[in-house]
Amino acid sequence: MSIASNNNPSVSSQRFWRVLIYTTLIVMAVFYLLPLFIMLLTSVKTLDEIRDGNLLTLPVQWTLEPWKKAWGTACVGLTCEGINGYFWNSIKMVVPSVAISTILGAINGYILTKWRFPGHRWVFALMLFGCFIPFQIVLLPMSQVLGFLGIAGSTAGLVLVHVTYGIGFSTLFFRNYYEAFPTELVNAAKIDGAGFFRIFWRILLPSSAPIIVVTVIWQFTNIWNDFLFGASFAAGEHAPMTVALNNLVNSTTGVKEYNVDMAAAIIAAAPTLLVYIVAGRYFVRGLMAGSVKG
Amino acid sequence: MASIDIVNVHKSYGSAHVLKGIDIQVDDGDFLVLVGPSGCGKSTLLNMIAGLEEISDGDIRIGDESMKDKRPSERDIAMVFQSYALYPNMTVAKNISFGLEMRNFSKAEIKERTESVSKMLQIEQLLARKPGQLSGGQRQRVAMGRALVREPKVFLFDEPLSNLDAKLRVDMRTEIKKLHQRLGATIVYVTHDQIEAMTLATKIAIMKAGELQQLGTPDQLYNQPSNLFVAGFMGSPSMNILPATIAEQGGKLFAKLSQKNTDDLLLPLPEQTGYRSYINKGVLLGIRPEAITDPESADKDSEHLYIADCIVNVTEPTGADLFAITELGGREVIARMRANTPLKSGETGPFAFNMNKAVLFDPSSEARID
Repeated sequence: MSIASNNNPSVSSQRFWRVLIYTTLIVMAVFYLLPLFIMLLTSVKTLDEIRDGNLLTLPVQWTLEPWKKAWGTACVGLTCEGINGYFWNSIKMVVPSVAISTILGAINGYILTKWRFPGHRWVFALMLFGCFIPFQIVLLPMSQVLGFLGIAGSTAGLVLVHVTYGIGFSTLFFRNYYEAFPTELVNAAKIDGAGFFRIFWRILLPSSAPIIVVTVIWQFTNIWNDFLFGASFAAGEHAPMTVALNNLVNSTTGVKEYNVDMAAAIIAAAPTLLVYIVAGRYFVRGLMAGSVKG
Repeated sequence: MASIDIVNVHKSYGSAHVLKGIDIQVDDGDFLVLVGPSGCGKSTLLNMIAGLEEISDGDIRIGDESMKDKRPSERDIAMVFQSYALYPNMTVAKNISFGLEMRNFSKAEIKERTESVSKMLQIEQLLARKPGQLSGGQRQRVAMGRALVREPKVFLFDEPLSNLDAKLRVDMRTEIKKLHQRLGATIVYVTHDQIEAMTLATKIAIMKAGELQQLGTPDQLYNQPSNLFVAGFMGSPSMNILPATIAEQGGKLFAKLSQKNTDDLLLPLPEQTGYRSYINKGVLLGIRPEAITDPESADKDSEHLYIADCIVNVTEPTGADLFAITELGGREVIARMRANTPLKSGETGPFAFNMNKAVLFDPSSEARID
């Protein structure tokens, strides 16, 4: 009896804090989700409804026409073939950029930790420095290099730019991860007769899942979302998604089709969201696997 | 199987001189233990034999072949690491066979060798597991299996037992010794544990600060330590080191030790040519605890047995023995008595000194006097 009456106040105060915390969290979550919600809502309304109603009213007549238009027939600049071509441009740019910069970063990290050479600190410091050079500074020299190589204005040129910029970060990630990787394992493999690449493939890479996922998420979002390099080095039909979206939204001819703009914006953002949702799970799984390893 | 010659080997990292001219010869089938305190360079030397560290100067030869420009994989060696270094992403079977796979052995041979080694080490039931699912002792066995399966010329062990608990360590020690006897392989083994060194080695190299202090059989190191450091490092409890002067009486030599509240103690010394030049000079007398006993358990064959009454400061029974602590020459002296010796602290009791086992050191050079 006395115990129960002693406990009651603490239980009720605990519940009070619980409620407060969850209420705050829910309010915050709703607040953050609101823009996405409005985008989704607007993208399935007709233009008339958008003009008449307010932002938060549900559509009376649901329609997928804006999505179809954004994908297939909307006018981007002078051509009216939708954004699908630019979407594939972005994919063609992102996949090789992410793959190449991740692989090179992994090999760099491997060399900078397990095959050290005199001056390795300097090399790493300079690569780190590269991470912090603002994009704008390299625009002119980069365009000269691309022109010299004859890949200006092409997807290949953009891939080169993004790989160059990405190596700094991917090297940083992998170097720090491999720094903690036991060197004795590499030594054991050397004695077992494995060479440089075999040690990398058979010993280090299989244990690198968490850092690969981190690097891929980082590179994918950065490269996909990049606007400046895309606008500078790949004009016209080679432009990536972000540039196309800008051109679509800023087209001044005719009526402003908010629903099509919103649909296009969601399509532009979808891949990065997808990467977070899919790879994020593997990321956690990778961390768990690492923690059980003795 | 092969011999190893370490010839005047130096190692420096920049200006830091880590190994200062090491010379060691290991015969075919020898079990060499490199022992010393941490930072003495023993692991560096092992890594240089393995080819994981470059040789700054000098040469290492395995079976008459210089290893100077050979990669680890070309040296026909196998190594067991302190952390076991098992590949975490591979099964036990893959871990063991990885070295064979890298050397392009046939599938059938790999299977046969893996099976026979895992049978020998009794890890057959673990072959499908990953290292993360094994206990420390099991990992240790797998690490040894990985070395054994290659049948190399030389086995290198880098403190392989230091991550095991005390009981398991003793068991594995015995197993390594059995393995050596069965295979007759040449082994180089690094440890900081002098008991491991004593029990396993056919030859011990004791190192300090990058220099070889003494190379010899366990018996030589224990009974004829070449200097104070070796004397203090080998044996537990360690050797009693007492300041003494050498006196001559009737043509015979004695070590004179001051004693609290009583006359000086005169301990007879065996005849050694070098002792004469130290007459009336200060020396350091080294005598192991087991050479100071109760009179009953003293070595009756010793020609220089001397029994003296000393005051017992403290007694420490360990179960098997009784350590009696007294004071001579201003230093504490540990004597190793039978467990049931009737000694009480604060009282006087008989101590038998077996001076045949005593050694003398020069106090300034710290080298043994012969």
